[in-house]
Amino acid sequence: MTQLNFISFQSILSYNGSAMVAMKGERCVSIATDKRFGIQAQTVSMDFPKVFEMGPHLYLGLPGLATDIGTVYEKLRFRKNLFELRENRRMSPQIFSAMVSNMLYEKRFGPFFVEPIVAGLDPYTCVPYVCNMDLIGCRNEPEDFVTGGSASAQLFGMCESLWEPNMGPDDLFETTSQALINAFDRDAISGWGAIVHIIEKDKVTTRELKTRMD
Amino acid sequence: MSSSVSRPYYPDYLAETPTKHHFSPYADNGGSIVAIAGDDYVVIAGDTRLSAGFQIYTRQQNKLFPLTKTTVLGCAGCWCDTLTLTRLLNTRMQMYEQEHNKTMSTPAAAQMLSTVLYYKRFFPYYISNMLVGLDDEGKGCVYSYDPIGHCEKAKYRAGGSAGALLQPLLDNQVGLKNMQNVQVESIPLDRALSILKDVFISAAERDIYTGDAIYINIVTKDGIKSDSFPLRKD
Amino acid sequence: MFLTRSEYDRGVNTFSPEGRLFQVEYAIEAIKLGSTAIGIRTKEGVVLAVEKRITSPLMEPTTVEKIVEVDKHIGCVVSGLMADSRTMVDRARVECQNHWFVYNERMSVESCAQAVSNLAIQFGDSDDDGAAMSRPFGVAILFAGIDEKGPQLYHMDPSGTFVEFDAKAIGSGSEGAQQSLQEMYHSSMTLVEATTAALTILKQVMEEKLNSTNVEVMTMTPKDLYHMFAKEQVEESLKNVAPLEQSRGDNIPRTESVPQAKTSE
Repeated sequence: MTQLNFISFQSILSYNGSAMVAMKGERCVSIATDKRFGIQAQTVSMDFPKVFEMGPHLYLGLPGLATDIGTVYEKLRFRKNLFELRENRRMSPQIFSAMVSNMLYEKRFGPFFVEPIVAGLDPYTCVPYVCNMDLIGCRNEPEDFVTGGSASAQLFGMCESLWEPNMGPDDLFETTSQALINAFDRDAISGWGAIVHIIEKDKVTTRELKTRMD
Repeated sequence: MSSSVSRPYYPDYLAETPTKHHFSPYADNGGSIVAIAGDDYVVIAGDTRLSAGFQIYTRQQNKLFPLTKTTVLGCAGCWCDTLTLTRLLNTRMQMYEQEHNKTMSTPAAAQMLSTVLYYKRFFPYYISNMLVGLDDEGKGCVYSYDPIGHCEKAKYRAGGSAGALLQPLLDNQVGLKNMQNVQVESIPLDRALSILKDVFISAAERDIYTGDAIYINIVTKDGIKSDSFPLRKD
Repeated sequence: MFLTRSEYDRGVNTFSPEGRLFQVEYAIEAIKLGSTAIGIRTKEGVVLAVEKRITSPLMEPTTVEKIVEVDKHIGCVVSGLMADSRTMVDRARVECQNHWFVYNERMSVESCAQAVSNLAIQFGDSDDDGAAMSRPFGVAILFAGIDEKGPQLYHMDPSGTFVEFDAKAIGSGSEGAQQSLQEMYHSSMTLVEATTAALTILKQVMEEKLNSTNVEVMTMTPKDLYHMFAKEQVEESLKNVAPLEQSRGDNIPRTESVPQAKTSE
């Protein structure tokens, strides 16, 4: 029922279409996104970056309006670099997400139309962290997984069944990939390829997934 | 308003204009339906929560309606429309039986439901319908509908408030989509039942309109068997 | 037969004191003026055969259509007032298509006959719904079809009564033809045998000499469904018809030749 009018409801957030998910594992986290950029139903590009490396163990996903993705990413990169230069220490995912949240709330009444996802490991303790927030910065820091984008309902259904605690990096990759692909296959405005990052203590594995392209 | 002649001048906020009350003919009472078909059976399950907004009307509302010995209809959405539609369908089933001296087959009921829905093209029954049964060869089949009668035949389907959450899960677990080195074959009944329960547990986690319990109907050539299964109630 | 002619034979919905509806009975008489048609149901399928009265050499025989397709799986032959029959066949076609539209399945032959019967009894006085039909249809119909019960043959008369038959004849030669059918029919007949039998009987009761232009033949089988015989195929079938033994043909009790009503063919 709610799908019938989803184009008009939250239309700005679903204008370009996206699907994004981040999951916690055992001493690792994953973050994955689709690659589509479109204008409503019209696909424009199939290699559009929405997940950004903000540091060695810190990734930022920005599902939402494509024009704001670029702006928000650049603003956050600036603020994070400034923080690290001034403080001469690495930014933990918690602090980074607090900064994102604050920046979004600055625009409380004229927001950026993105619902960011932060995934990473604490630079010192390596504790996994995932977080998402709404477009004005209301944070959600769950113990399992976060979803975002126009396929978030589908992702919730997938993750809720597939996720289990203490997955190793290989399991985490498989689970994240299956959740994302099957979710965006049932969303008309996301998909067209996917990228999965698995963040571990001493390496980040980035894989591109072949998916159906229709 | 400002140009009306016979009335004294009032500021806008004091104007004695009639108050407009908008009547909405529809309610969304939530609910989810999932159906899985096999070679010689079909299972359909619906949750038992009937709600509106943040209010729960009842925690034990059956949303499955057996139409014949081999056909079951599942409805989610506007409950008052469901009541009307199912009464209409039951009459139509009886009329068919008396006119043609036979029980309506599942494919015939599926087509009839499509036309019944389309007859109200411009004031639709606001229902996610799912019709399941055995076809003429005794194989399980699932027909799902949009509110104005578009009908699709499938082997598995999720519909209703948690439809978007559950359909990709069924694609993966039943349709074995995006799996490598597997051959797609129809699943046995016990596997279908356990998938059914699992997906409803997931739906109850994330969808506030789905929960409390599920009622299950298992349709085989021997008739319809009922079952139920508890879900979280918050 | 109708010794008590009175005002009761005018109102179509008025019973006579003896409990009869004269107009309906007259309509049943009227169909006995029509051309003879025969239907035989076998296990393999149904065959319909009918004579066409070519009243003038200037007439185009193919425009006399007595066997028509109702749906792929139902055909019928009509005898009596051809104009009336068009209305009934139209209704049968509409009902079949509507059944397909609503249920996505073939209408059963019995249901189709029932639907036409509902139309056939709608004669009577006009009411608020608009003008009603002023008289019963002067048509007898044989429905031949295939449904889930297999090959089916139904007969319907102007009163709307319809009955299932193994073999049935209608029209002017029907009395004699029915007699012959009773002798020839057996339950293990093949469709070819039935076709030959139908043509043989038709030949016996027809006034004209039977040939490929004054007869129509149709078969209804589970495989090919409605199949109208082409001229060549009719000729082929006629070869199986034994030359009429003069003695037997003359012995057939034929309804006394009635003056042909102009509308009746």
